[in-house]
Amino acid sequence: MRFNLEGLTVYFPYEYIYPEQYRYMLELKRALDARGHCLLEMPTGTGKTITLLSLITSYQLAHKEVGKLIYCTRTVPEMEKVLAELAELIEYRAKYLGRGPGSNEILALGLSSRKNLCIHPRVAEEGSRESVDAGCRRLTASWVRERAAERVSRGTTEGGEEGGSSGGAVGEIELCDYFEGHERAGVEALLPPGVYTLSDLRDFGRKHGWCPYFLARHMMAFANVVVYNYQYMIDPKVSQMVSRELEKECVVVFDEAHNIDNVCIEALSVNLRKQTLEAAGRNLGKLSNSIRRAREADAARLQAEYNRLVAGLIAQGALRGGEDWLANPALPADVVQETVPGNIRRAEHFMGFLHRFLAFLRDKMASPVVTSQSPQVFLHELQERVQVDAKTLKFCYDRLSSLLKTLEITNTDEFTPIQLVADFATLVGTYAKGFAIIMEPYDERLPQVPDPVLQLSCLDASLAMKPVFSKFQSVVITSGTLSPIDLYPRILNFNPVAIQSFQMTLTRDCLCPVVVTRGADQMPMSTKFEMRGDPGVMRNYGRLLVDLSAVVPDGIVAFFVSYRYMDQIIAKWHDMGILQEIMQHKLIFIETQDVVETTLALDNFRRACDSGRGAVFLSVARGKVAEGIDFDRHYGRAVVMFGVPYQYTLSRILRARLEYLRETFQIKEADYLAFDAVRQAAQCVGRVIRSKADYGMMIFADKRYQRHDKRDKLPQWITRHLKEAHMNLSTDMMVHVAREFLRAMAQPYDRGAVGKSLLSEAALAALDAAGGLDGAGAAGA
Amino acid sequence: MIRYLLLVVDMSRAASAQDLRPNRLACILGLCRSFIREFFDQNPLSQLGIAIMRNGLVEKLTDLSGSPEAQVAKLDAGKLGSPAGDASLQNALDLSVSLLRSLPPYGHRELLVVFSALATCDPGNVLDSAKACKANNIRVSVVGVAAEVYVCRRITEETGGTYGVALNETHLEQLLLAHSSPPPATSAQAKAELVRMGFPQRSTEEASSAVFVGLEARLLSGNYTCPRCKARVPELPCECHICGLTLISSPHLARSYHHLFPVPPYHEDSKERAEEAAGVLIRQPAMRDEVPTSTGSYCFGCLREVSQPGAAGQLHLTLRCGRCKQVFCFECDAYVHEQLHNCPGCEFGGT
Repeated sequence: MRFNLEGLTVYFPYEYIYPEQYRYMLELKRALDARGHCLLEMPTGTGKTITLLSLITSYQLAHKEVGKLIYCTRTVPEMEKVLAELAELIEYRAKYLGRGPGSNEILALGLSSRKNLCIHPRVAEEGSRESVDAGCRRLTASWVRERAAERVSRGTTEGGEEGGSSGGAVGEIELCDYFEGHERAGVEALLPPGVYTLSDLRDFGRKHGWCPYFLARHMMAFANVVVYNYQYMIDPKVSQMVSRELEKECVVVFDEAHNIDNVCIEALSVNLRKQTLEAAGRNLGKLSNSIRRAREADAARLQAEYNRLVAGLIAQGALRGGEDWLANPALPADVVQETVPGNIRRAEHFMGFLHRFLAFLRDKMASPVVTSQSPQVFLHELQERVQVDAKTLKFCYDRLSSLLKTLEITNTDEFTPIQLVADFATLVGTYAKGFAIIMEPYDERLPQVPDPVLQLSCLDASLAMKPVFSKFQSVVITSGTLSPIDLYPRILNFNPVAIQSFQMTLTRDCLCPVVVTRGADQMPMSTKFEMRGDPGVMRNYGRLLVDLSAVVPDGIVAFFVSYRYMDQIIAKWHDMGILQEIMQHKLIFIETQDVVETTLALDNFRRACDSGRGAVFLSVARGKVAEGIDFDRHYGRAVVMFGVPYQYTLSRILRARLEYLRETFQIKEADYLAFDAVRQAAQCVGRVIRSKADYGMMIFADKRYQRHDKRDKLPQWITRHLKEAHMNLSTDMMVHVAREFLRAMAQPYDRGAVGKSLLSEAALAALDAAGGLDGAGAAGA
Repeated sequence: MIRYLLLVVDMSRAASAQDLRPNRLACILGLCRSFIREFFDQNPLSQLGIAIMRNGLVEKLTDLSGSPEAQVAKLDAGKLGSPAGDASLQNALDLSVSLLRSLPPYGHRELLVVFSALATCDPGNVLDSAKACKANNIRVSVVGVAAEVYVCRRITEETGGTYGVALNETHLEQLLLAHSSPPPATSAQAKAELVRMGFPQRSTEEASSAVFVGLEARLLSGNYTCPRCKARVPELPCECHICGLTLISSPHLARSYHHLFPVPPYHEDSKERAEEAAGVLIRQPAMRDEVPTSTGSYCFGCLREVSQPGAAGQLHLTLRCGRCKQVFCFECDAYVHEQLHNCPGCEFGGT
């Protein structure tokens, strides 16, 4: 339908719209009008994605000055889903706006790594992302192509036609046909308007003989909608080469952004293990060798580099082969625009510098005690011990990338360890605040096995987000679970113009959250540290699952607080015979840390649910399953959250971060921990409701959920359905509630219910005339 | 309108749950008994068989047959033993296919499962068996007592049946009895076919005399005689034990077909209607001597006196058939429309 929203014509591809979608659009539009950032929470299953797309593309149409829509997703499947919905929307819009040139057609594309886009027959077969990148570089680096071009020209003058075939191997130098095709087409290589998913891009590339990856990168400048991963926006290493060119007027959307602070932190954190350092040492040896060889073969090249560094050209990007790799890990605003200091301009000197730094790190890692330092202390120690100063460290990364390019190294995947070390050095050198350097000689869980890790951990999520907020006019952060919503602006340190949490209008009470605090024997249940080992508690948890599997049909998902606790409790349940009892009703599948195993378990879980056998999936909060896998419809008729999924509070990194949050943002430790735990729990239980036609039980099995500090942090759309009577149940009462609920939900229900939970075009027109939804709330009913 | 229905009762572990009073099984068996009676009442020509699911197997209790009391007698909790083990939907589907496949195509083939369990433990893929059911035009319906099970929903949707989950005892009864009226005919079954049937006469022997009747040669005082082979059968409807002819009576046929040809509803009598009717009725031969009444009006069904429409102090509501224009009292109206499914006035040849 097409309707008027405060003067903006919105194209929405469905006949009816939910009231909350309408409210969401209204809020979003006001935020865009105010040119500010906004934070919007709306439950999953209410068509958030299509609402966003529909409003923003309509807004773009009406306001030509608004730039691209940059839509950030977490995973490739999510990206595909967004593009599919967009395609539907565009198809619908074409009915009103027509097709062909001049009809405001949209170009939308998904962008991903080479791993997902490469169509080179050999390179695309490579296993990991790094090896595909390296494989690509081997074929497309500028010096490789120059050399091939030289050989071709020599070949044509000497031998005639034989080297003239443009693609494939020229002599022994191999090039990528597709890249060459794209290069030849130059600026002419354009995508016609339309919506391109990753596979569409690959098909298009194959048809025209153009490289889809570079085509997509090239077309970003012309696209109206770009869908890509969070990293491309947040991680400075990636965003500098991909997102630098984007104009200020762009609208940036972060979908499923409840974990955005963790993504930000990861983007600026570096972990070094013992193996990394060893490999970095080997890298250094290799580099020294090639420097020596280069010096013998072509001393002029190294000299040229030296001269360039003296002139400070590196900062201006005039470096040959300045393609998109090895970008600085620090944020753009913090990158120093000075010439490289004299003590590392020479390649040999730089090698020496790296050797010293590496030795220092190795030395640090040999320490048998856990240490936690601020960057200043670390730098001071560095200065004392090996005479390396912070200023030089800052340039480490740029210097290394310059060197690798000068030496014409293409197999970059081999040099990842030394790059990590350089990352570390640059970050330590650049930031004095908001970081901690933590050294753990062994894993806390296995103190007898030495496994030293040196971590440079970012403590401040706002650091990575700051350039995004300051660069772009409107940033939209949205998810199904952003509660408590006022905490996010503080953690990310920004001022939203709109903060809003939307409710789901339902035609029936299709979610039934309950808090189970006691077992059938009235003993309290909790995963509190003092209680979790108690066999009584474990048995009560087991009984809960047994009783539940007897009354809930098809799939049940159970989340535990950690792998360790899950292992422990499953072993206990086995001894108590609880697993066998569950098996009488349902099959049991368990998530493990192995991805392949888990995928297989999930697959069989789905089959068991499909064929009516019924199954229980035991999983872990914060695990892969809790974050990305949906248990909609019959795959999840009930979800149990055993305990409150607190982070491992003894972790040094968490301690450091909590301290930092307290000092900088005045966020109390307990508040943050509870917030984080409850958001994970909400994520887990939210897995079962994926649409309005769906229904499911949500069982919080811990007495601590009864307390206000936990309950208030749950998203409103869950708490609204949490009845007063369901907040303090024992297992047998819960079973009774479940039975009644499932019976009631099994009754046929009228999907239509037009007017109550769906608004038609006419109803919207009336609303608009009456002055908005709040002014005439009853008009829609 | 002939139905062949296999009723499968779940006697797995879940049937011993006590959320229905006194427990699921007793409640279900009781309701099944009334369902069977109602089924034969509504579809006298149809046949029904019973099986139970227990221990992962399906046990056949009775073959398809047309007599309600023999079936009802089998559904006794005492004789069936206690519920145990898992339920297997696939075995039930397979049994229905093997039983119903060879039946004549003009009948409706149906499987009705009363499902207490929440899971089915099958030897293979239950959806393959569902496909076989669909291929054989078997309509699978499920009445659940606990919660919605996805596989039941899917199978019933695929085969065109219905799926309901009972909220309580009353709702369960409603759901079950809803299956006693026949489902809408599907296009695959719509083709016309002739079925040979006999309409035997009830022998009018003296009340004190008795003859040997039927296969078991029981000594009975009344019986029916097959019009083809003159064998005596005890009750209708049945198949003749000698020549295999289907023997029924006209009301049976009418009851079976009332879903297709319902008796037109009677309307409340009024002065205008009565005058119009009198004009029609005057030209018809009277059925018998008029019944002398004080009001001058009597019910055509029970010959009881009824008051004239619109008369002062009218005691009973009177109704009139729109076709044969005869007057009926309220009780006869209920009897005609709910049980007889024949209008006596129209049958008499009024029109």
